[in-house]
Amino acid sequence: MTPEDKLNALFAAERPKAPDYVFQAAVAQKMAVRRAWLTVAASVPWAVAAMACLWALQPVIAPLRDSLNVFLPTLAGTVLLACATAVAALWLARTGGRVGFRR
Amino acid sequence: MGGVLTDAELVGRALAGSDAAFAQLVSRHQGAVRGFTRRMLASGWAEADDLAQDAFLAAWRSLRSLKEPAGFKTWLLGIAWRKAQDRIRSARRHAGRDQVWLETSEAPAGVSAEDRIAMAQAMAELAPDVRACVALCLADGLSHPEAAVALGLPLGTVKSHVTRGRARLLKALGGSDDA
Repeated sequence: MTPEDKLNALFAAERPKAPDYVFQAAVAQKMAVRRAWLTVAASVPWAVAAMACLWALQPVIAPLRDSLNVFLPTLAGTVLLACATAVAALWLARTGGRVGFRR
Repeated sequence: MGGVLTDAELVGRALAGSDAAFAQLVSRHQGAVRGFTRRMLASGWAEADDLAQDAFLAAWRSLRSLKEPAGFKTWLLGIAWRKAQDRIRSARRHAGRDQVWLETSEAPAGVSAEDRIAMAQAMAELAPDVRACVALCLADGLSHPEAAVALGLPLGTVKSHVTRGRARLLKALGGSDDA
């Protein structure tokens, strides 16, 4: 085997076999995680705007406080659960990437 | 032949929001990108494949900045090259781990383990831009102009890097100085 042949054989050995679905799935999974983070990031300004609106409407809402107090624990619980679910989903997506899809 | 979409068409569909189109681009070019990162890092294929995934992710995020969709592969290899440069600069190279990887991975038929180690060492001793030129032109079959675009180097520099790099590798594999 000439040095040229060896060089070509060694280069060819490093070339990955196609198609490699594990690699493609890993890329798709990273894209999905990135998209999830972008979605969360995009919702932040809306959340801030909603809070600002509520704060601005405080004089209007204040007289209704007593009647709203009945619903507040339920509402707070729902919001908390939604936040926990979102955080858990993102965490699972990242952990899944480390455990299942890397090569 | 109508079923096979060109890179430019796939880029257009990916820009319109098609993940399936981008997945096809990944499938089509993963071999070239991974081969390139493996040759650039030479520190185990897992790290190189991780770098290749990051390159695809970066390409997906900045797809709108691609001016010539037909040149997707060259553009993608340029991203991989810049990421590899960052990794080479910032990484503390673990020579011991690299040696273990070389000794435990299989050499192709007809090539001894010593040749493989000599080749890896010769590649590692090449300057990163010389190594990149060798990897793209000799291993991946890119033309000199394509490699010049991907690496952002003058065409003459690419040609001289390929000639010099090839001679160094052939010498490491038992060739003469003027190989």
